Amino acid sequence: MDQNQHDRLAQEAQYQSNPMMAPTILPTQTYGHSLSSSYPRLHPYDPQAMYQLRQEPLQQQLTNFWAKKRQEIEETTSFKTHSLPLARIKKIMKGEEGVRMVSAEASVVFAKACEMFMMELTIRASGSAEENQRKIIKKCDVASAISRTDVFDFLVDIVSGHNKIMEQQGFVGIPRIGTALTPTENVPYYQMPPHQSLVPGPPYGSSGMVVGMPVHYQNHPGLQTPTMGPTPNPQNSSRDSDS
Amino acid sequence: MADSDNDSGGAHNAGKGSEMSPREQDRFLPIANVSRIMKKALPANAKISKDAKETVQECVSEFISFITGEASDKCQREKRKTINGDDLLWAMTTLGFEDYVEPLKGYLQRFREMEGEKTVAARDKDAPPPTNATNSAYESPSYAAAPGGIMMHQGHVYGSAGFHQVAGGAIKGGPVYPGPGSNAGRPR
Repeated sequence: MDQNQHDRLAQEAQYQSNPMMAPTILPTQTYGHSLSSSYPRLHPYDPQAMYQLRQEPLQQQLTNFWAKKRQEIEETTSFKTHSLPLARIKKIMKGEEGVRMVSAEASVVFAKACEMFMMELTIRASGSAEENQRKIIKKCDVASAISRTDVFDFLVDIVSGHNKIMEQQGFVGIPRIGTALTPTENVPYYQMPPHQSLVPGPPYGSSGMVVGMPVHYQNHPGLQTPTMGPTPNPQNSSRDSDS
Repeated sequence: MADSDNDSGGAHNAGKGSEMSPREQDRFLPIANVSRIMKKALPANAKISKDAKETVQECVSEFISFITGEASDKCQREKRKTINGDDLLWAMTTLGFEDYVEPLKGYLQRFREMEGEKTVAARDKDAPPPTNATNSAYESPSYAAAPGGIMMHQGHVYGSAGFHQVAGGAIKGGPVYPGPGSNAGRPR
């Protein structure tokens, strides 16, 4: 079954990333399970290097989170109480077009799944807050966590609405303008690192969406100090990955 | 309490009460529950702004709709009317949330064991016996619509799960399914 071939799926790169792995915008973090302590390239901008260093605690947090979650489930002795109201979950499910009947066990499964989802999203958002040396997690931290994690792509529309509100309030440097990652839209991202380190290495955000990510990662050790041109580099990286 | 929220069906703690209509509030999970769960993920001294909580509140509803949509499509292809737990696990795998599936499998298994003799609805009960439930999770009338499909599907999952011992417990009511039965055995 697919569920038992988790590692193979990761190797085959059928999914750009999964929640346990760091955002694919940082190729060195794509293989979170075997986190490397060395970085294959030197960044021309210090904020990016600092960002990479901070990724290690985040990975450790996520690993601890999953271990704790498994233990918690094994210790469950009662299904009387749930952290979330089952009736509300069922109502949200029935709001989806085409849904006719929902079993009670589906609501119970979702109660636990949503808890896991919210905790993972919160942990990733806290990484963003720490990166900006804040102790309060804000909306833009959640937005940043979503933009860095491929599996959360379906949330981009929700967050982009918030981005507009925050931009009006003077929040500059929020990642992901629009939803399509095209070379043109990578240019603004590339200009962000000098001001804020919310999105390190924007060109890799584009390559992160390309199938063949493992190949791309393997190519990195050979690039000692690549020049980060805003437009040609993502295309070159994509071609290398495709070959 | 989650149970009281369940009974009342109201949105006691809708942080966006001034921004949403009553029906819209029902489209989100209560923000107090969201806040509590977010805090569980962080150190005690961490703080979360209200707008971050509201954003996660919206995100989790989107997560439910996203997974449900995929599971619903699968049920329609297979001519089934009821979405069950395994459909959700399949949808999560398909949509990239593989890491959620392994813990949830065990959770679903334990739920079926502990709720075996009672109705599948997770209602409030007084001191449910922890080791007395037999596995008849299919008493729910919502399963009667397509018992054959559900049975085949469940049998397959049980065969591959292998979480617990087969103790040959008596199954009261509900359809007999080909997978191995169990009576309240603990996973692992």
